Amino acid sequence: MFKTATKIGITSLLRRRTRSALLILMIAVSLWGLLFIEGIYDGMTEQMIANAIRSDSGHISIFADGYRLNPDLSRWIENTIELDEFLNERQQIKSTVARLKQDGLVATAHYSRGIAILGIDLEREANHSHLEGYLRHGELNFGERQRGAIIGFKLAKKLKVAIGNKIILSAQNSAGEMASTALKVKGIIKTHNMAFDENAVFIAAAKARELLSMPTGISQIAISIANEGEIASLQQQLQEEFPNLTIKRWDELYPALQQSRVLMAGFKQVINIIIFSIAALGIFGVMLVSVLERMREFGIMLAIGTKFSQIGIIILVEASILGCAGFGLGALAGFSTLYYFKIYGLDLSVFSSALDEFGLDAITYAIIRPDYFFTALAAIILASVFSIIIPLRILKKTKPVDAINAI
Amino acid sequence: MSDFLKIQQINKTFQPDKEVRIEALQDINLEIEAGDFVVISGPSGSGKTTLLNIVGGLENATGGTVILDGQNVTGLAEKELSHLRRNHIGFIFQAYNLIPVLNVRENIEFIMKLQGTTQRACDQGVEEIAKKLHIDDLLKKLPHQLSGGQQQRVAVARAVAAEPKLILADEPTANLDSQNAATLMDMLEHLNQHEGITIIFSSHDPMVIERAKHSIVLKDGKVVSNERFN
Repeated sequence: MFKTATKIGITSLLRRRTRSALLILMIAVSLWGLLFIEGIYDGMTEQMIANAIRSDSGHISIFADGYRLNPDLSRWIENTIELDEFLNERQQIKSTVARLKQDGLVATAHYSRGIAILGIDLEREANHSHLEGYLRHGELNFGERQRGAIIGFKLAKKLKVAIGNKIILSAQNSAGEMASTALKVKGIIKTHNMAFDENAVFIAAAKARELLSMPTGISQIAISIANEGEIASLQQQLQEEFPNLTIKRWDELYPALQQSRVLMAGFKQVINIIIFSIAALGIFGVMLVSVLERMREFGIMLAIGTKFSQIGIIILVEASILGCAGFGLGALAGFSTLYYFKIYGLDLSVFSSALDEFGLDAITYAIIRPDYFFTALAAIILASVFSIIIPLRILKKTKPVDAINAI
Repeated sequence: MSDFLKIQQINKTFQPDKEVRIEALQDINLEIEAGDFVVISGPSGSGKTTLLNIVGGLENATGGTVILDGQNVTGLAEKELSHLRRNHIGFIFQAYNLIPVLNVRENIEFIMKLQGTTQRACDQGVEEIAKKLHIDDLLKKLPHQLSGGQQQRVAVARAVAAEPKLILADEPTANLDSQNAATLMDMLEHLNQHEGITIIFSSHDPMVIERAKHSIVLKDGKVVSNERFN
């Protein structure tokens, strides 16, 4: 019976091929557009998160107790040897990086502003954050005498400095006294993390220790791990082992980015509702007209003893063919487009200044997740089922003999 | 022979709540034996089609009962009526009423599939019926590719495919020329005589009426004549 229902469905759709083709095209184009938006938006969200993890927090960050509330030099991680040993033993850890941080002031001949001074081990930082990917001008090198500084592109713009220009860093040292040092800009980076691009000056760890009179201790250890699924368990292990330290996941440090993911999940629901609505309304319209036009045909079937449920299957098969054909075409077009932008990226450089504000690259790489397609298919199947309820109710109310006599 | 079909006090009123009520059938009482070959005749509007529809469970009577092979048809729910039509009654309509998107083979086997017959049995059944009704060369054609006479022969084949106890044919020859009408009547007569199927058909064509074994004449919704011929 299902084979016959399918044949009746396909033949009926072919008899009304223009109408069927237009509906399939409408579903396909809508699905294609929505899949594109979903993949690109997902790509943007994940890019913001990746930039924050890569440039600052890692997957997990370790701070001295109380540092998050009062980030000054009186709260630093002292026992780094024990901590290093613990981290080195963990197979899941990809890389770690230690930073010495202090708020300070950067000044040029024309301008000065508050910034964060970050003393880093350039080699480890490059390995951890892949800094070379962020470099826009100059080089990743503090120089032989370590008198170089790497600054964010926005800060460079505000200070009106270029490679080789001099800047003066001032900060309160561990003794509570103001200390200053003159450095040359060696590199300008663009991390897409506003906190860094606008407010950070990277200097050599040794230079930072000298400036801040901090021979030992660090402010932050950022940890990058291979499998994101192990973040929570590693955080727990660290917290149990080092109860006097503050262990924070990236989403605790950047709750707004985690919110973006939540927002993305909500956005996906909205997209699925749109897909459902478009498919349901489109299929409903076509099926309603189709049922009304074929009242006589269905009347004959009922008269010779076809069960109403079997008529329902015939109509459902027809609606599903429309929905699935639209899905197939839209999914193929959506997948192809997203695959292209996954490989080559979507160049949005015309909006680069706006994107910078959100911590986004000018080129956004799309993401393709199987759930885009599964949920869209589920929405379309559901829409196919819902769309035939009213046509079936109309048919149910009609007596076979009246349906046969319908013109 | 026993009474296969008992029609008792059947009334049918259209628009019963309106001022202009149409009394389509009034106090119809009929008894039809198994294997009978019955014609219901009468002028247009006499109630022939309404009576056939009520017997076939396609329409509800306003009053009275129809007992088909011991079963009260008038008291059945739509689901049970659908079962009755599928398994015990074959229909032949004036306008052929084949399913337009299915070819001849599929139209014939459609009813068999509704009954849950396997594909193999369907194929065998269709071949047999098609040969018997001389439509075996038409099996792959769609209804719109057939002449009126050919379509009506396919409609007969579809009605027979269900192996019904009763075939109801509403003016089956009305749209056919005399030659095709005669061929169709030969077919129905053959099914009646050789398969033992009870056939009730309506007509006002004298050539068709004279071939019946049992003639019922309706006028203004009433039986005016009920004769059996030997």
